[in-house]
Amino acid sequence: MSVITWKIGGPAGFGIMSAGPMFAMALKRSGYSVHGYPEYPSIIRGGYNNYHVTFSDKPVFSVYNRCDILVALDKVVFDSETITKNMIVIADFDNIKGTEDLECKKVNIPFKKILKDNELPDIVKNSIALGVSAKILGIDEEILFKLFEENYPAKVLDMNISAAKIGMEFCLDEMKFKAPKGNSNFKDNLLMTGNEAIALGAVKAGLGFYSTYPMTPASSILHYLAKLEEKYGIIVKHTEDEISGIIMAIGASYAGVRAMTGTSGGGLSLMTEGVGLAAITETPLVIALSQRPGPATGMPTWTEQADLKFVLNISQDEFVKIVLTPGDLNELFYMTFEAFNLADRYQVPVFVLTDKFLSESHFCEAIFNDNGLKIDRGFIFEGNSEAPMEFFPRYKEVENGIPMKSNPGTPGGLYKAPGNEHDDFGFVATDSKTRIKNQERRFKKEEFIKKELPLPKLYGPKDAEITFVCWGSTKQPLMEALKHNDKFNFLHFSAINPIDWKQVKNMFKDKNLVAIETNFTGQLASVIAEKTGIVIKDKYLKYDGRPFFVEEIIEYVKRGN
Amino acid sequence: MKAMEFNSGKIPVWCPGCGNFAIWNAIKGALADLEISGKDVVNISGIGCSGKMLNHLRTYGFHTLHGRTLPVATGVKLSNHKLTVVVNGGDGDGYGMGVGHFIHAIRRNLDVTYLVHDNHIYGLTTGQASPTTDKGLKSKSTPHGVIDEPLNPLAVALNAGATFVARGYSGEVEHLKELIKAGINYKGFAYIDILQPCVTFGKTYSYEYYDERIYKLDESYDFTNFDNAMKKIWEKEKIALGIIYKKERDEYASLHPQLKDDILLNSTGKLRDISDELARFK
Repeated sequence: MSVITWKIGGPAGFGIMSAGPMFAMALKRSGYSVHGYPEYPSIIRGGYNNYHVTFSDKPVFSVYNRCDILVALDKVVFDSETITKNMIVIADFDNIKGTEDLECKKVNIPFKKILKDNELPDIVKNSIALGVSAKILGIDEEILFKLFEENYPAKVLDMNISAAKIGMEFCLDEMKFKAPKGNSNFKDNLLMTGNEAIALGAVKAGLGFYSTYPMTPASSILHYLAKLEEKYGIIVKHTEDEISGIIMAIGASYAGVRAMTGTSGGGLSLMTEGVGLAAITETPLVIALSQRPGPATGMPTWTEQADLKFVLNISQDEFVKIVLTPGDLNELFYMTFEAFNLADRYQVPVFVLTDKFLSESHFCEAIFNDNGLKIDRGFIFEGNSEAPMEFFPRYKEVENGIPMKSNPGTPGGLYKAPGNEHDDFGFVATDSKTRIKNQERRFKKEEFIKKELPLPKLYGPKDAEITFVCWGSTKQPLMEALKHNDKFNFLHFSAINPIDWKQVKNMFKDKNLVAIETNFTGQLASVIAEKTGIVIKDKYLKYDGRPFFVEEIIEYVKRGN
Repeated sequence: MKAMEFNSGKIPVWCPGCGNFAIWNAIKGALADLEISGKDVVNISGIGCSGKMLNHLRTYGFHTLHGRTLPVATGVKLSNHKLTVVVNGGDGDGYGMGVGHFIHAIRRNLDVTYLVHDNHIYGLTTGQASPTTDKGLKSKSTPHGVIDEPLNPLAVALNAGATFVARGYSGEVEHLKELIKAGINYKGFAYIDILQPCVTFGKTYSYEYYDERIYKLDESYDFTNFDNAMKKIWEKEKIALGIIYKKERDEYASLHPQLKDDILLNSTGKLRDISDELARFK
């Protein structure tokens, strides 16, 4: 099996984050399965940006540590990357000191001279590099130029195309890389980021209102939805802060509109009071949480899965919340879609957890089939025009602990939605009977939600020496590692709360379990211990802001735990 | 509906003599005069004695967290801009915790009527200084006297670009009712600061205190003049009641092309065709 990796690097401001995804798409359209992984510091200019593309004629899922072809647009790349003998390195070697003794396969492209001779600006350096890369990998230039057309404004299009063509001319036959031929298997696949899948899942579900404050790595949900707001008739608000972001969404949902907010851990800290408000008023709400290392501002542009216990315990007191932990594009899309149904049906906060790796990397999947997608708005009072000014028992159980909603403006549906404990009509009540009745009714929902949420799924050979236990994005590197090693399998949790832990416990039987998570303490392992009494002693944890690289997992399995 | 019919049937737990009774009556009277049905009204309340208004009106209602009335109001109003949204909060709620949201609601010119029950004290938490409490005043949280300058909320509003700034007084119910009516009729953010004695904890700002100082702006006052308004707001000895500043300005919902034809509520929660969007990712 042949997996090839291509990486482009340079200082922020060099167009790495436009060139990288464009080349990933060029490869996909050439018939490969593709994964694209961006790394960038939290600054606008300078620092080291890179975008790592993995591709193959078989499905690829995740990022490798190794690199076959490296495009170095500047000296900074050589300071940051380990250059090995087998690597093809594309760079302006004439102008980068200290590279003379490198033992890699050098493809010397005189970027500086090309720009000067052709009177081109520095910003097209990335297009020259894409031309070179396309030629080396045998990508049809028409595919590349079509992508330029889709991505560049008309006034700079020709300039970028001629830059790429000049780059192509510099490639000699001996520089070419023998890649497996692309096939048509991936023609209809989508290549998109996790955040785009979340946004589209929400749009598909009839999202009406999205409000939040921008925070990496959740911001691109806001950006993408803002672009779509007029097309689909959605209101998208960048609010004054995260508190307003979540409370506004609660206001919209109270008024009957499907509402969502999205943030990262620091923003969720501010939103915490709002989660409790949604819970006690039983206002449906979907919250997309894209995790990054913390606490406080932590490492804004890096990845970690360390907010699980925060979410499970969020806000004061106890209430039912749904925590979904999708692991790929399909799960992100369909689970976000379903998150709105669950929120409406059960009238509880629903979290869709992701992380920087899943949110901002590009994944390639054949997904988004309309078949079977259904909208469920739950119990909604249709009104009583005979007695339009009557108060309505909004918080009275209809079934399974669930009461009936009434949208403001509905005749005969009047009620109060208070952050205080309340009676059936929403009037503040603090007597013990009412409190007990409400807590028991609200928690009754849990039994029914449990039946709806997916149990962990086993991937890989049925029996194996090691069974990794993971959640969320870690599914991706494990899927990729499975292609190289059959000594392990893994259980992936795409939902964590509330699920049927008795059944989960059965799934653990006779297995050599290893918790694999990108956090310091093994949060899922800790939840498993609490819920099942099973203590997973072996933990493979990573907390350096990077996802698991495929080689690391293979190495771990080889070593034995 | 008659004013009486806006009673929810719940008996208020405000202290006898509390200014909230007058504000309650003024709201009911305003809704009745304007012939708005209670089912089309959402009353959004904050935390504090003002927040209890929610329980006493026969309307829809949302009792939010401390300081968070205006974000709820924004979500509600944009979701269904045909609803009449009346927001009740206190000086602690709106000028303390909620002061950021206050300024941003003004920037947006959201079409709601925002009533701030300004008693210069925290009543429900039994008498701490609020952002509008005068310097030097002793309270439970400032036993040595307040050393912060008081906030002039009307000046804040005016400087933030508010285009309907008014002051009412709970000792003048009819006048207050007319202000609330004007606020509801105003297409945009109608902000009314309501002077309200707290008979239990706010001994300084009593009915006598206000009765000696208030006066009503008459027809000769030009409320479209910004500089005049600023002067009125900073008057030291006397306190002007009425519409202090008013100007037409585009109301927030009208600036959303998505809301031109219908309310948001009618398009939400329906399966959408996203195929052309998906095609971009192929």
